[in-house]
Amino acid sequence: MIIIKPKTEFVVTVEAELTPDLAEKDVGEIKKFKVYYGKDVVELGELFEITKEGDDKKLVLDGDFSRVKWVGCRMSDGEIVVKGSVGANCGAYMAGGKIVIEGDADDWLGAEMKDGEIVVKGDAANLVGCAYYGDATGMSGGKITIEGNAGNYIGEKMAGGEIEIKGNAGDFIGTEMKGGTIVIHGNCGFVGGDMKAGEIKIGGEFELMPTFVKQEDAWVGDVNVKGEGVVRRL
Amino acid sequence: MHHALHIKNGIVIDPKNGVKAEKMDIFVKDGKIVEESEVKGEDVKVIDASNKLVVAGGVDMHAHIAGSKINTGRTMRPEEMRVVRNIANKFRAAVGRVLLTSPAIGYEYAKMGYTSSFEAAQPPIGAMHTHEELDAIPMIDKAALPVFGNWHFVFKYVEAKDIEKLKTFIAWALERTKGFGVKVVNPGGVEAWMYGGNVTSLDDQVPGFNVTPREIITSLIKAVEELKLNHSVHLHCNRLGVPGNYETTIETIKLAGGFSNDARQVLHVTHVQFNAYAGDSWRTVSSGAEEIAKTMNSMDNVTIDMGQPIFGHATAMTGDAPFQFTLHKLTGARWSNKDSEVEGGAGIVPLVYLPKNPVHALQWAIGLELGLLIDSDKVVLTTDYPNGGPFTEYPYVMAMLMSKKMREGELEKVSPFVQKATNLPAIDTEKTLEEIIHMTRSLPARILGLPQKGHLGVGADADIAIYDLNPLEIDTSNDFEKVYKAFKTAEYTIKSGRILAKNGELVDECWGKTYWVDATGRVDMEAIKPDLEDYFKYYSVELQNYGVEEEWLKKPERIVI
Amino acid sequence: MAEENIICTFCGSVCDDGQFDTEKFKSKRLCKLGSSKFSKKERIKAPMIDGKEVSYEEAIEKAAEILVNAKKPLLYGWASTVNEAIRLGVLLTEKVRGVYDQCASVCHAPGTLAVIEEGLPGGSLGAIKNRADVVVFWGANPMEAHPRHGMRYSISAKGLLIKDRKQRKVIVVDVRPTKTAKLADEFIQIKPGYDYPIISALRAIISGNADAVPDEVGGVSKEKLIELAETMKNAKYGAILYGLGVTQSRGRDRNIENAVKLIQLLNRHTRWVIWPMRGHYNVVGAGEVPAWEVGYQYAIDFSRGYPRFSPAEFSAVEVLKRKDCDAALVIASDPAAHFPKAAVKHLKNIPVIQIDPFPNMTTLVANVVIPSAVAGLEAEGTAYRMDGIPLRVKKIVETSYWSDEQILEKLFEKVEELKR
Ligand code: SF4
Ligand SMILES: [Zn+2]
Repeated sequence: MIIIKPKTEFVVTVEAELTPDLAEKDVGEIKKFKVYYGKDVVELGELFEITKEGDDKKLVLDGDFSRVKWVGCRMSDGEIVVKGSVGANCGAYMAGGKIVIEGDADDWLGAEMKDGEIVVKGDAANLVGCAYYGDATGMSGGKITIEGNAGNYIGEKMAGGEIEIKGNAGDFIGTEMKGGTIVIHGNCGFVGGDMKAGEIKIGGEFELMPTFVKQEDAWVGDVNVKGEGVVRRL
Repeated sequence: MHHALHIKNGIVIDPKNGVKAEKMDIFVKDGKIVEESEVKGEDVKVIDASNKLVVAGGVDMHAHIAGSKINTGRTMRPEEMRVVRNIANKFRAAVGRVLLTSPAIGYEYAKMGYTSSFEAAQPPIGAMHTHEELDAIPMIDKAALPVFGNWHFVFKYVEAKDIEKLKTFIAWALERTKGFGVKVVNPGGVEAWMYGGNVTSLDDQVPGFNVTPREIITSLIKAVEELKLNHSVHLHCNRLGVPGNYETTIETIKLAGGFSNDARQVLHVTHVQFNAYAGDSWRTVSSGAEEIAKTMNSMDNVTIDMGQPIFGHATAMTGDAPFQFTLHKLTGARWSNKDSEVEGGAGIVPLVYLPKNPVHALQWAIGLELGLLIDSDKVVLTTDYPNGGPFTEYPYVMAMLMSKKMREGELEKVSPFVQKATNLPAIDTEKTLEEIIHMTRSLPARILGLPQKGHLGVGADADIAIYDLNPLEIDTSNDFEKVYKAFKTAEYTIKSGRILAKNGELVDECWGKTYWVDATGRVDMEAIKPDLEDYFKYYSVELQNYGVEEEWLKKPERIVI
Repeated sequence: MAEENIICTFCGSVCDDGQFDTEKFKSKRLCKLGSSKFSKKERIKAPMIDGKEVSYEEAIEKAAEILVNAKKPLLYGWASTVNEAIRLGVLLTEKVRGVYDQCASVCHAPGTLAVIEEGLPGGSLGAIKNRADVVVFWGANPMEAHPRHGMRYSISAKGLLIKDRKQRKVIVVDVRPTKTAKLADEFIQIKPGYDYPIISALRAIISGNADAVPDEVGGVSKEKLIELAETMKNAKYGAILYGLGVTQSRGRDRNIENAVKLIQLLNRHTRWVIWPMRGHYNVVGAGEVPAWEVGYQYAIDFSRGYPRFSPAEFSAVEVLKRKDCDAALVIASDPAAHFPKAAVKHLKNIPVIQIDPFPNMTTLVANVVIPSAVAGLEAEGTAYRMDGIPLRVKKIVETSYWSDEQILEKLFEKVEELKR
């Protein structure tokens, strides 16, 4: 297990593609891991204190990582625990393993995620599990759980996996969704625009697009794309 | 910097000057090819080219490299821009997968040994935008072909059968757009698109005007030939992308029958692959390449370029707005459209060519059939970048045309549909290295009417490519991998006497010229003034604010005729 | 002396039929907004460092130092200057490995995101004036924001097929009755924030799925929606011209994306185009130039030496709100007046360079202030009208102010020198 702790408050954000793979290296090597700090490429050890405890494939990010982006990007196994909040693109393209964020997550959490698990104890911002601009498919597998609230644009172009939000969410849930499940326990705004397939379950209030057809216990749509997406009450 | 070069012991292929793989030295001074005596006493840099192929820099006569279409393509497709080709250092940051940024376009041509490229469709009112982008492309010489085939002025003069005014209008338009020649895209069809339609034959009437595509094409050929422009009419045929269109293409090619020109063709038909489909639907579609090749080989005043698709990503962008909409309907992909005042239109749609897709494989095969079956003095190698794919894969097309064995290998990877729908598997032809050099250098230069390009004779521009390939030893039929690799990355690319790239590394940056043709001396400009003033009421800009002045361009090169 | 055919450098209409009397220093034909720009106005007197007047060279030297020493400078603005200056700005941002962003990110950038999703089926303003028998202003109020647009291009403009105002149907869709709505043949008032579902409903009606649509959507009755859908289908050549009412309200880029899908559908029946009513005179150039130079229109980060695009991370407001830059260059824009509080707060905490002809709120927070010539009046250059049509704006009076292009050229040189 590796414990990574910021040494100072950062002047600008840091881009650090930290994955549990780091835990398999020795401390000297980890300190040399390259991260982006504004226009400078610096060594991880310059900005963070690094300590190693035991051999399990796990990172503990101890402190405020809300200004650190791309944490857990493309990780495929192992575990990351963020003691505080985390910056944008956390868990992007993730293929396996687990990320636990004890604070809040910024935009693009689990974007285009393929497998694995992300748990946010606090809130998440916008664009959870979405596709990056120009790409056809968002999250396609794995699970994202947000215990607090989430922002706008949740699971756009999502093709598989599950997003569960225990609190409320914003607008545009499951836009152009083509598979997978979104569960929102609280309220949310617009739901299901151009949804092709998949399922959205909502506990609280929501605004469904006017292009869904009511069936027994659910709405099916979006008719504009001959969709078979299902929206129902939780 | 040396201003003289001595390229020593290279094996030169220079089709225009009849040099077929001969060991000889080339001398360069002040950006031109010179006699040996000229460099005596100069500070000469010697380049040892022993056992290497020395040829003129490549000339791309038809690509979409600048202007509102490609830039909308970039904007639409951020996923295309994520491939990093160069990190900002001595040279600019350069990015792009198939769609490239302007710096990347220049750099990639240079790495491949190409030194000139022509933007093949300049919307006239957007001329300044096209030139700004051309000016942002380093390394190469360039020019733009404004589009005429749906311009209301053209319709009106054709309708009135007034060739004199049509000539004057062409001269005016080339001067205003700082354009090089007359491009025609789906004549009449784009005007029909303004009403939601298209034309379906050479004899359909264009809505709102008493003219037909046939009349537009022949009148423009007549006008261009009377003006004696460097380049002939450059035509994107009607009915592009429609099964059965090869018959229209043949009919169109034959329209050149009544015209002649000693120096060059009177009609260049572009990216013919997209206009070479037989059958009457996508289910019955097959290749019309053989019939087109027969017609082409029987004519001596028409040339074509291939428009070869490359498997992988591409972006369709043409002035053929109705075709682009059809493509959008077919694929469901993003679609941009640009209706442009009273001048025509354009469209942009992303696409991907998949080897296992029967139609894509057919298109791929047809491009190659055209390249193989048509006389090498009449067919230029293009991908209609980025419509057929990247220009950086020209070496693939070159190697394919030279090797049946390579084609056999590739045929195994594609949809078996091509086996019955085309003749490609049966074609034994293997183009020679000389032919391929001609098809990529001397021929496009001749077609464009640029006597200083595409060859290594004394007086030519010192645009030179050196490849790690010994023509005296290479077996192009069997060593196709080596051929491909060699042409992919020039050992040296020299532009106007300056070494720009070496083995794929950029070493120097230069800014090429932008050619434009000034024919205003051949006509009486006053003759169309009242017409311009009158019809400009249908524009949204003032006549006085229309067009591009030479001093706004970085390195304009006016060709006065 | 009267200059003819001057080009107005105020709004995105870029009217090119103005006149200017150099003696009286007064324009003719331009609207109120335009003539105010082409009149004597308060100017920044001289270059300043921390409020002290200095020479251009000194100010530029100081600016270069700030940019070179920053870890991540933000270079923002660009919509009210010419392409030649914008190009230098992009190259400069690449050189100092900063973030390039332009005014669109707070107005029409959602439209750019919609282009990424679905494309932009459009036409030039000339095409609209010649052909459009139905024009829909959606969340756009040109009579206030682009006063001559209607007369020159869209409402009463006469063209090839539309010879008379009566031959064109003008529809305004907005949340309140605007000045433009008063001129319209029809005004459809919608509930704020319901553009998206209304467009979805129209698509459903047009594609034969009216059954699914409830009796009322976003404050508009189903009958009204069916009527609008019919009008759209029966148009010969229709145009939706949308404004900030759509891009800056709930739904943003999704609204435009949906509208583009509506246009795609309508083109299966007849001809329709859609286009944004862009605000600043060269905001289009501020996106087109970086697109060809580095591949993206706005929100571009160069910290790694190559461009990356991410509106959520690299838009000026996001960068400032997240304190993700340690210096800023602001050109031809006033973020101190228009940005959210948290963003302005950070702007006050970092070194700021301003390049602008006119003093504004940002001048008050700038450490280095470099006054510039007014493009279109004192300096020439290329600008793109809202529909992308390039026009060369003119220099019609002499000035001792440097042009943006000159300033940036010198600044670029200085930066290169310091980096050596
Ligand atoms: S409408 Fe815009 S461009 Fe035209 S005069 Fe008024 S401010 Fe200037
Ligand atoms: Zn082309």
